[in-house]
Amino acid sequence: MHTFDYPQSRMLFDRACEVIPGGIYGHFSPAPLGQTAAFPFFAARAEGARFQDVDGNEFIDYMCAYGPMILGYAHRAVDDAFRNQLALADTVSIASPRMVELAELLVERVAAADWAFFAKNGADVTAYAVTIARAATGRRKIVAIRGGYHGTHPWMQAPGHHGIAEDDHRHCIRIPWNDFAALEHVVAEHEGDIAGFIATPYHHPTFGDSVLPAEGYWQNVEALLRKHGIVFILDDVRCGFRLHRGGSNERYGFHPDLICFCKALANGYPIAALVGTDALRTVTASVFHTGSYWFSAAPMAAAIATLQELDHVDAPRLLEIYGRKLNDGLIRIAKSHGFTLRVTGEPCMAYYRITDDESQMLHQRWCAECTRRGAYFAPHHNWFVSTAHSDADLQRTWDIADEAFRALKTAA
Amino acid sequence: MNNDLLKARLNLHAVLRNLEDLPELDTRAAEMIRAWRLAVCFSVHGGPAATLEFSEGRCRHHAACPPHPDVKLFFVSPAHLNAMFAGNSSPLPLKGFSKLGFLKHEFAELTRRLQHFLRPEPERLAEPAYLRVHTLLTLLTGVFAVPHLAALDPVATEIAAATPRGSLQFVVDSEGPVAHLVYSSNGVESRKGALEQPSACMWFADWPAACRILSGTLDAFTATGKGLLRLDGTIPLIDNTSLIMERAAGYLA
Ligand SMILES: Cc1ncc(COP(=O)(O)O)c(C=O)c1O
Repeated sequence: MHTFDYPQSRMLFDRACEVIPGGIYGHFSPAPLGQTAAFPFFAARAEGARFQDVDGNEFIDYMCAYGPMILGYAHRAVDDAFRNQLALADTVSIASPRMVELAELLVERVAAADWAFFAKNGADVTAYAVTIARAATGRRKIVAIRGGYHGTHPWMQAPGHHGIAEDDHRHCIRIPWNDFAALEHVVAEHEGDIAGFIATPYHHPTFGDSVLPAEGYWQNVEALLRKHGIVFILDDVRCGFRLHRGGSNERYGFHPDLICFCKALANGYPIAALVGTDALRTVTASVFHTGSYWFSAAPMAAAIATLQELDHVDAPRLLEIYGRKLNDGLIRIAKSHGFTLRVTGEPCMAYYRITDDESQMLHQRWCAECTRRGAYFAPHHNWFVSTAHSDADLQRTWDIADEAFRALKTAA
Repeated sequence: MNNDLLKARLNLHAVLRNLEDLPELDTRAAEMIRAWRLAVCFSVHGGPAATLEFSEGRCRHHAACPPHPDVKLFFVSPAHLNAMFAGNSSPLPLKGFSKLGFLKHEFAELTRRLQHFLRPEPERLAEPAYLRVHTLLTLLTGVFAVPHLAALDPVATEIAAATPRGSLQFVVDSEGPVAHLVYSSNGVESRKGALEQPSACMWFADWPAACRILSGTLDAFTATGKGLLRLDGTIPLIDNTSLIMERAAGYLA
């Protein structure tokens, strides 16, 4: 099998470093990839489940832009909706009818939603949700899960990170995932001072196995929060529309007050949404939050088309089927080479880890060997599959994984 | 928070500790200590202690005072010790009055030699041999500072508590393993040299890259992208250690 080189990517990176701090920042930074040399840095084009880098190497993409891509790149219906709206009006001085239509669509399909609000990024709406919780309750504290990620606003960051002051997260209390007793304890300790509880539908930290909700966890959480008048915020930025058409809470049977959506909402076009219950409608209207591009209509049109298309193909079912097949195959292939591949979380956005080496260096090398053969695997983030991933992609991925394991053994 | 206590521990166990390595890296320092045969103890009232034991052309650093040192320098408080390191105060010699001249001249010259490498004039960094010694001592200072920061700096304590158990090896490509840290239920330990199977490895392509990364003139994101730095294995160990290590500057500046 041919293995890839990345001269153009590296040249672009050198140019980037001259004019962009860190070259490539944030979650696209090569830093946490481990075997950085095996990874492309810049993409030239993308279609379906694949992208091509600037060196002409083609990858089956298992990161799906870290979540936004769900129907495949260059999806005809979504892109047409975007382009058509662009030709009509995008960012203008007044709001677009698409905003109303998209809100209506979300209210119709998301059982927990009586209203919707739009922004650009996940953190726009997680931060808004927390502010609304404070405004609604007149309280200060927010409870979140240790290792949970809700964006880069200072209150969400871990202590000691650059530029973060102690006060920034003074009112954010972190508790372990799936630990209902810890939540009870915190609620008792700060009786009357907890505004909101924010968590993802299940625990999907970077650098660690994913953990699904324990039996009864969400139902207990919901009952406790209700009893104490604490606003229940679901951060569905990453999982939203992948696990259930109406929000991931439907998958696990609970009822949040606010749900944050973003990534898969418009198949890659920039838009985030906060939806909520009637009880929080007036207070939400009173909490000022906005942005220069939050009314741009083309991404709203793309979101409408995406939601329709997701229903049309019954996306959560397709994703689950592909995810299960992918995972079963990879586990089997690993085993045939004497390795144990641990797969955790929901099958369509699972976290993978070779357990034969606790340090994860082996896992990093395997992801690197796969990537330089055309299956784009980031080692320490959950992967994603899309409805565009085909059986041919699946077979190719298995072949690559197989050869990558062989390469590991040869190197050893 | 008692800044002075942490600062004193850093001065004794991270900065002064470098005298153990200096003679092996620098012929002038080796020449200076060649004939020395004595143990100098630094003792802080109610605080840390350290001993430098010179013999056979070598220096050994111990994190305690032996029962009978040749010279015992006493400091009434951590602040007193820190003032001496800043050049603003003198210790009270409790033992070894006959060695006062030695301390004032020979020993002071050795510590000036250490400073020469730890606080570089920028133009010296163009000399590869100087850059290597400077960078190695800077790295060792950082590595040996981590356990004390993790114990006494409140933010570092919080970061250390959230750091996975395991070991982190520092490697410079041309040099091999330089030093390592071990995070366990007993806290953090620092040691020189190699580990059999580290949980994580921070690999620098060469000394100039290490120098720029450690001095903060090259960020880790740029460096990894350019292949000058590689983070292998349990990356949160490396991320968290970097955050802890960076805090040393706030005390040693
Ligand atoms: C669960 C979760 N919440 C919030 C965010 C933040 O979203 P954004 O990066 O769009 O601000 C992310 C991004 O990865 C996420 O995964």
